Amino acid sequence: MELNVNGQTYEVEVSADDLLLWVLRDTIGLTGTKFGCGIGVCGSCSVHIDGMVMRSCITPAAIAVGKTITTIEGLATVNDAGEEVLHPVQEAFIEHQVPQCSWCMSGQMMTAAAFLESNPTPNDDDIIAAMSNNTCRCGTYVRIRSAVARAAQIAEDRA
Amino acid sequence: MAKQPEQLSPEEQAAAAEKKARRAISRRRFLMVLGGGVGVLAVGAVLGGPTLVREARLAINQAFLTGAAPSGAPPKSPFVWFEITADNIAHLYIPKIEMGQGIHTALTQIAADELELDWAQIQVHQADSARGFDGDLMFTFGSTSVTAMYQPIREIAATLREMLRAEAAAQMGRTTTEMVAVGSAFEVSGAPETRIAYGKIITDKQGEWSIPGTVPALKANSDFRYIGTSAPRVDLREKVTGRAIYGYDVRVEGMVYGAVARPPRYGAKLKSATAGDAETQPGVIAVVIQDGFAGVIASARTQAQNAILHLALEWEGGTTISQAEIDSIVSVPAEGGTLIQRDGDVTSAANSKRIEARYRTPMAVHAQLEPQAAMATVTADSAVVYVSTQAPGLTREKIALALKLDEAKIEIIPTYVGGAFGRKTGADVGVEAALLAKATGRPVHVGWTREEDMKYGYRRPPAANHLWATLDGEGNLTALHHGIASSDVLFNPEVGGGGFLETLLGADPLAAYGGLIHYNIPNRRVIYHTTRVPVPTAYWRGLGSFANTFASESFMDEIAFEAGIDPLEFRLRYKPEGDLGARYEAALTAASQLANWATPPAPGRGRGVAVTYDRGTVVALIVEVSGDEQRIRVHHAWCAVDPGLVINPDGAIAQVQGSIIMGISSALYERQVVENGMATNQNFNDYPLARMTDAPTIDVALLSSDDTPIGGMGEPVIGAVPAAISNAVFALMGLRLREMPFTLG
Repeated sequence: MELNVNGQTYEVEVSADDLLLWVLRDTIGLTGTKFGCGIGVCGSCSVHIDGMVMRSCITPAAIAVGKTITTIEGLATVNDAGEEVLHPVQEAFIEHQVPQCSWCMSGQMMTAAAFLESNPTPNDDDIIAAMSNNTCRCGTYVRIRSAVARAAQIAEDRA
Repeated sequence: MAKQPEQLSPEEQAAAAEKKARRAISRRRFLMVLGGGVGVLAVGAVLGGPTLVREARLAINQAFLTGAAPSGAPPKSPFVWFEITADNIAHLYIPKIEMGQGIHTALTQIAADELELDWAQIQVHQADSARGFDGDLMFTFGSTSVTAMYQPIREIAATLREMLRAEAAAQMGRTTTEMVAVGSAFEVSGAPETRIAYGKIITDKQGEWSIPGTVPALKANSDFRYIGTSAPRVDLREKVTGRAIYGYDVRVEGMVYGAVARPPRYGAKLKSATAGDAETQPGVIAVVIQDGFAGVIASARTQAQNAILHLALEWEGGTTISQAEIDSIVSVPAEGGTLIQRDGDVTSAANSKRIEARYRTPMAVHAQLEPQAAMATVTADSAVVYVSTQAPGLTREKIALALKLDEAKIEIIPTYVGGAFGRKTGADVGVEAALLAKATGRPVHVGWTREEDMKYGYRRPPAANHLWATLDGEGNLTALHHGIASSDVLFNPEVGGGGFLETLLGADPLAAYGGLIHYNIPNRRVIYHTTRVPVPTAYWRGLGSFANTFASESFMDEIAFEAGIDPLEFRLRYKPEGDLGARYEAALTAASQLANWATPPAPGRGRGVAVTYDRGTVVALIVEVSGDEQRIRVHHAWCAVDPGLVINPDGAIAQVQGSIIMGISSALYERQVVENGMATNQNFNDYPLARMTDAPTIDVALLSSDDTPIGGMGEPVIGAVPAAISNAVFALMGLRLREMPFTLG
């Protein structure tokens, strides 16, 4: 089947029930999307399919055929000078020094990025509601909370 | 070009040749404390009988519980640590593992200060086992990295600085005293136009470097440029872009995926194993059955995991223990045990009132979000293993045994670690990948499922605590007794403990951690009881401190209540003697001010306090909770921490925040249950963790009672969390919570 990931087309030989997480990581080699639980609970494997946050560990790859998949590797953009420009969420997560081990962070940032698309001016309660289904064992929640708010600010400043 | 290690001076070569010897020496240092004890114990057993054995063990346990952790000797050549290339980039090779604690950044700050590096011209690398650091030094555990490495790194960086100074002076025809180091360069004092970059000094060097035999003068603290600043983490750009490579992410040409059969009960061994119909399952490349081990390799990860279910396996032995039996085994008996602290005589203290309570702490898993993972390539006489581990040295040893290869032929490449908390101190997955790779000649990646990690790792041991205290007629605390019962931490043979240590010590020093009574009470006694369960238990963040501080600091609150004294005031009244007491007072005072303790909380809120001294660090924690029939909620935490000199304040605060949230998670939600000899929790649907909704507002005060780092930061705070919560719940609703996880129902 053909998958469009981060603007590139990949021809992959996979069966209908192969899960998107392992196709991304082991077949295509995009290991930025992480495996945490395999049952869609922790959120480490979150990616965007047509802009929607999906848990790739329980999503068959076949569902994404003909759609646009974005992973953490595709969140930043490249400017005219060929330099990497971090997404506001990535920039804010560095600015607030959020990640510790960072295994959950791809999922946290993908969740935050999609959330800010739908709600560019969130308050704290909105952020907590949107982010509370992603687990961080290192306990960075207070920084995630402040960094998502900061990312909204960065996005507004850039607009 | 910069000097490569293999081109180095005779000193360096000698250092490399001494590697094994150094390793042996560092082990010997660790065993020295024990060694003295063995003699005393042997003499005691012959001449003095049980009394002398008890006294010898008391002395040895005291040494263990209060002494510094063992660490490998650092290499003497700066070129093991640093390479400065012609482009003036300083490459730093860090022996400690980055698992989220920010150690690569903190150690870089220490080195950069003494070596006067330009922060923008530094590149940080994880050292692998071929670099020249020994395995004991690379072992990353026990919140010891900064305290153990601070002085050696400063010395080695200063040594290189002075070597560069001498060379710069020679190249410019000046004297060394005229040269000043600034921003990865030397210049003649007052003449910036004479600047030569370190990279150029090294490139232009003729002949061999000689390493000075004496340690040069180190900077004064007032001259620090990086130490004490919140330098940004060096690993975050890679991490936020998804480029950082962890053990689970390693990919090499021609790789395949492995999975391993697991027993149905802890301790069960393979009685017989055949391939069954595993070989005909989709994607299967080979079935590997040998010496009590059965595994499969396949083209895809899920294919390997599926094929495991098709092996024909018969298991024998193992335990059928139930949770009820575990709870019954792990309790503090009235008699016996090993004395680990005794001051005065608790039995003869003035006793007009006696207070007593029992506490329980359940088994818990680490739940680090990256499960065990390793990638191995094995040939007839070599092995290369990428692995997510805290213990590269132990991993190398165990792989050498499994492959029957000399350790020198095995290269361990530690990756970024996706959380550990003690879970990655063993060598399980590295050995599995190596065995499968050897049997099939293919590079094999093994990544555990969450279910495997939750069931087949080791876990925090179940513990029980029994405390009693006496007050005299005036309400003074006259005696405190603490009885601890726990299953193993260090005594688990899988992580290096077992027989000999146990005979010697009688008490597992890491399960007893946090059990010593530091309060200034005339009569004190602590007794440890080994209550072993046949379920693998070992290191978990904070070790015994989590259970023991929960019990002792909850009990301190109970005594304060009986004595009718404010719990914070009560702790100040019995603060330890000397410097430690001053540190307690400073921390309690700072936390009290942060929390505005003197002003009562709003209606519906309760506040509790706990204080702990752990791994050299003093922690005072106050939390504010609310609670209803359903749920305890921690709204705010105020924490004062004194680890001595802080290298990176923001990094230290991150450790405090993380420890508080992990502590809340474990105190409120976590309990691993075993039935029929196997854990019943398998994944996060039946082992819930704290989420963002559980995270309180956290205010931190960092105190520095010393001009060097004297305490750890990764673990000490977590021990204070459960008692602070239980004490806050008591303040709110008069209910004593003596068993975790806490419920109000």
